[in-house]
Amino acid sequence: MPAPPKDARSCLAEVLEVERVGDDGVILSVRPEIAMLDVRASRFFMLRHEDARSPAIPRPFSLYRQRGRELEFLIKVMGRGTQALAQSRPGEKLRLIGPLGNGWPALDGDGPMWVMLAGGVGSAPFYLAIEQALKGMDGKARCGKDHVAFLFGAARKGLLYDVDAFRGFGVKVFTATDDGSDGFKGNVLQLLETLWSRGTLPRECRLLACGPERMLEAVEHLAQEKHLECWLSLETLMGCGVGICNGCPVPTRPDGPLGAWPNAKCCVEGPVFSTRDIAL
Amino acid sequence: MANMAVTVAGLELANPVMSASGTYGHGLEMRHFAAPASLGAWVSKTVTRKPRPGNPLPRIAETEAGFLNSIGLENRGIDSYLRDVLPDMAREHAVVITNIGGESVDDFAELAARLDGERACHALEVNLSCPNVQGGKLPFSTSPAMAESVIARVRAATKKPVFAKLSPNVSDIGEIARAVEAGGADGITAVNTLLGMRVDWKTRRPALNTIQGGYSGIGIKPIALRCAWSCARAVSIPVIGCGGIACAEDAFEFLVVGCRAVQFGTASFTDPGKIGRLAAEMSQLLDQHGIASVTDLIGTLRAPNVLAKTPGAPS
Ligand SMILES: Cc1cc2nc3c(=O)[nH]c(=O)nc-3n(C[C@H](O)[C@H](O)[C@H](O)COP(=O)(O)OP(=O)(O)OC[C@H]3O[C@@H](n4cnc5c(N)ncnc54)[C@H](O)[C@@H]3O)c2cc1C
Ligand SMILES: Cc1cc2nc3c(=O)[nH]c(=O)nc-3n(C[C@H](O)[C@H](O)[C@H](O)COP(=O)(O)O)c2cc1C
Ligand code: FES
Repeated sequence: MPAPPKDARSCLAEVLEVERVGDDGVILSVRPEIAMLDVRASRFFMLRHEDARSPAIPRPFSLYRQRGRELEFLIKVMGRGTQALAQSRPGEKLRLIGPLGNGWPALDGDGPMWVMLAGGVGSAPFYLAIEQALKGMDGKARCGKDHVAFLFGAARKGLLYDVDAFRGFGVKVFTATDDGSDGFKGNVLQLLETLWSRGTLPRECRLLACGPERMLEAVEHLAQEKHLECWLSLETLMGCGVGICNGCPVPTRPDGPLGAWPNAKCCVEGPVFSTRDIAL
Repeated sequence: MANMAVTVAGLELANPVMSASGTYGHGLEMRHFAAPASLGAWVSKTVTRKPRPGNPLPRIAETEAGFLNSIGLENRGIDSYLRDVLPDMAREHAVVITNIGGESVDDFAELAARLDGERACHALEVNLSCPNVQGGKLPFSTSPAMAESVIARVRAATKKPVFAKLSPNVSDIGEIARAVEAGGADGITAVNTLLGMRVDWKTRRPALNTIQGGYSGIGIKPIALRCAWSCARAVSIPVIGCGGIACAEDAFEFLVVGCRAVQFGTASFTDPGKIGRLAAEMSQLLDQHGIASVTDLIGTLRAPNVLAKTPGAPS
């Protein structure tokens, strides 16, 4: 039976800072009472404000950045849960459950280039991904800066959260906006197609993607069509994050390694899936 | 330290805290959040005869004071449960209650018979909220006669204690409680989820794919408490309270109205570690109030007047 990771804990965390970012986002920094060091990129935490005004069900967020014991989350304010988190003040306590999920595969420097596709707040699991790829993961060859490209798309410039932080890595960063207010005018997949056709990026690459469902479906389709290795970090609705509510099913490919059962649990078998394993 | 041990239908439990079916895994997947011995009993998700892939998305939705679900009893079936779940539980000191569900009386009887020889399973909990496929798809729990016949067939198929899990979606739960007692149940779990729904008026869409679903969490506690009380008054077999319990005080309310044990469900989604600490928190609270044993609370409701003794009395 799929079970939550052994290193996951449920504990309180102190809010250190809430910084506004972009048109509707915040970066929330917390210090958990239990140290959780060196968390893999694209693992996530369930967060909840421990008070009566917040919803009882915690919400899932990718770890955005980590500085020693300090954890940072990039949060787009949507509804009740994210509002309560965005309004939290330094010194207040949050419930933090994690680290949860699997995280990206080892981003090694040996195979084809890594092309990372982010849609809006889908950029969250990529900051650590780039940081860890440049350092080397799981004892594999580290990536050179030219071995990683980060393609960041959003509706408009104000939703390209914290994009300068990504530029700071020195990897190839490209932006796309629907209204043309920053970078390429169009979506992130049209941008990729353009970069391919101009020869800016090699057609042989490995894809990682996180963003809205429609974008991920299109990425999945592209990967199948071009026979590219591809991993998606999914953001399904979650009730518990630890595998006990059955609220986060992802349809599996009958011929894939998860095919023994029609659904995978996004929270404990994902949130990262190879497009060989699932069918959105 | 207050004494936390309770006996429920012959099961000797270290404490009265159980997990609620479908909210804490099938087996011991959560053992890193709650030690096997920290719960009085572990209740499985409903096991059915055949595997069930469950309902399409979205299956869950939060509401102002609770949680809606329409999971559709997703589970890998009894063969997988016997092969992949029970052997692991047999190696731990955990009391295991297997919750079973079926579409027909025969399904329930077969499941009970197959579990009867399993040492690791200590008792059965019968999910009577399952729809009766041959009976117009109404849940077994809505008819006293159907509920009684399911329990009687399960009773005949097993020597293990049998708990009937009742639905609150009935007009007189006490009547169903008496029926399952007559059918041979050793205890009652009260209650399963209420029927509820949520809609987004702007998109005109229901939050759940199935439109309506099971409502649980803190918002249902007053209803669950009333149901548990009604059952406890109606029968002499033990009642296990369930619905909206989130802390030690909530659990005590159910004991006071006559329950011998409690189940902790949706609140595990708020904090998956809480259930493992609950018995210790209950014990501390008893100490603070100078109560020596948790059993001293059971059935101690002081009914103020004759109205309180009449279920359904107008207010
Ligand atoms: C593994 C994982 C990692 C995530 N990482 C991040 C992150 O780093 N930063 C971030 O801002 N968000 C992230 N999300 C999405 C985030 O969890 C949701 O935006 C949040 O739960 C919304 O809560 P709310 O109470 O504010 O909104 P609600 O009131 O619950 O909903 C408001 C609106 O948001 C939609 N919504 C709710 N949940 C989701 C969801 N999971 N995905 C997409 N739309 C949703 C609802 O349909 C509704 O339209 C992640 C989700 C998952 C599963
Ligand atoms: C996500 C979810 C799944 C559930 N699955 C089952 C189930 O498989 N069988 C069952 O008898 N009850 C099931 N229940 C009902 C619970 O066991 C419990 O009776 C109900 O949720 C009320 O308790 P609570 O308010 O503490 O959650 C489920 C509840 C939830 C929230
Ligand atoms: S979110 Fe509860 S099982 Fe995945």
